[in-house]
Amino acid sequence: MKKLSMILTAVLLTGLLTACGSKSEATETSGTSPETVPAVSETEAFLVPENPNADPNADVDLTTLSSTMVYSQVADMMYTPEKYDGKIIKASGLFSVYHDDMQDKNYYAILIQDATACCAQGIEFVWKGEHAYPEDYPEIGSEITVMGTFGTYEEDGATYTQLLDADVTVNE
Amino acid sequence: MTETNMNLWQTLVYYFQYPFVQYAMIVGLLIALCSSLLGVTLVLKRFSFIGDGLSHVAFGAMAVAGVLGVSNDMTVVLPVTVISAVLLLRTGQNTKIKGDAAVAMISVGALAIGYLLMNLFSKSANISGDVCSTLFGSTSILTLTKPEVWLCIIMALIVITVFLLFYHKIFAITFDENFANATGVKANAYNLLIAVITALIIVLAMNLVGSLLISALIIFPALSAMRVFRSFRSVIICSAVISVICAAAGIILSILFSTPVGSTIVAADILVFFIFCGISAAISGGKKA
Repeated sequence: MKKLSMILTAVLLTGLLTACGSKSEATETSGTSPETVPAVSETEAFLVPENPNADPNADVDLTTLSSTMVYSQVADMMYTPEKYDGKIIKASGLFSVYHDDMQDKNYYAILIQDATACCAQGIEFVWKGEHAYPEDYPEIGSEITVMGTFGTYEEDGATYTQLLDADVTVNE
Repeated sequence: MTETNMNLWQTLVYYFQYPFVQYAMIVGLLIALCSSLLGVTLVLKRFSFIGDGLSHVAFGAMAVAGVLGVSNDMTVVLPVTVISAVLLLRTGQNTKIKGDAAVAMISVGALAIGYLLMNLFSKSANISGDVCSTLFGSTSILTLTKPEVWLCIIMALIVITVFLLFYHKIFAITFDENFANATGVKANAYNLLIAVITALIIVLAMNLVGSLLISALIIFPALSAMRVFRSFRSVIICSAVISVICAAAGIILSILFSTPVGSTIVAADILVFFIFCGISAAISGGKKA
């Protein structure tokens, strides 16, 4: 009887964890290209805590956070984009370009690496005004600061995030 | 100096207002607590390396789940890890391939097959990033969602409850399985329970420190406590305290100074181990004098 109860306990423990899902699509957002936005289950009103050092023009200023915090904050933006919709985001990172051969279209992004430097979150941005690539854009890999309005768009059945009407400055 | 400390403190207080930092701290402490409870038993049963082996199995299973396109990879990872844990812990002493060799074989085999499958069949744009993230934990602990936090809390409570309920039986089979059997304790059944709990902790801890560093989370607090304390109970209590403090310190340091979470926690565990070695040497020296 005791043996049976032990086995039942063991099976119960296994079943509980198996039934409750996994790390959602967290690892899928670690690529450098635009990624599919995972399903959202949280819709909290809380955005970010007030920071006296933050740019007053930005609702979310990532430039004042440590790189670990920035990576985590960007992950949160990818998991729960509706929280940040229409908010002004300011972020620094490495300039990157992704070329879609199928549509012959460029996507511009800043890359934010995690502490182990093996994962990077990309935030796509659309530069305000008319700009030609590569003449007007910074060199790939140069550190830039981008401030724009957070939004999402649908493409090929997937939802992507981007910063619209962005101001772009190359960091000294 | 004071200003720097104040700034660091203010920064820390500010960071702790973020929900994902609160989640990371809650889950990190719970995983550290659970792994330390089990760590003492595994170390005493000469299964220190089983955490490493099982975490590699979990990595391999995760790769298989990815190749098969299973949306909830936990449905593959957990059963495979549990079965491997049962096989390793129950049959380790009675098979042609002995315990340490079996662990080593499964460990490197699963790691190699997992990496091979990920390279051959993965659809991810960043394979090296995915592999690195799984092996070293990356910042997974800081990207947890609320349901995942609740899952960890429930699992941790179950593990702690099971450990407390069966404390005396676990104590008995930890030190002498044959004697425990002779006194009517169903050693095989309790070994099965330990195997399942070990697998659960391994799968949970992959978020915190990654699959390569899980062993450190299991063995260092236990080994540190054993330097100074002698009784099973005092070693477990000390191990739990060390593990929780090191996890908290590691998480705090990593968010303040942008270091990798998993390796910072393990570095804190290593530091405490050497401190306890020093305390042990001092106590021994004092007794001889």
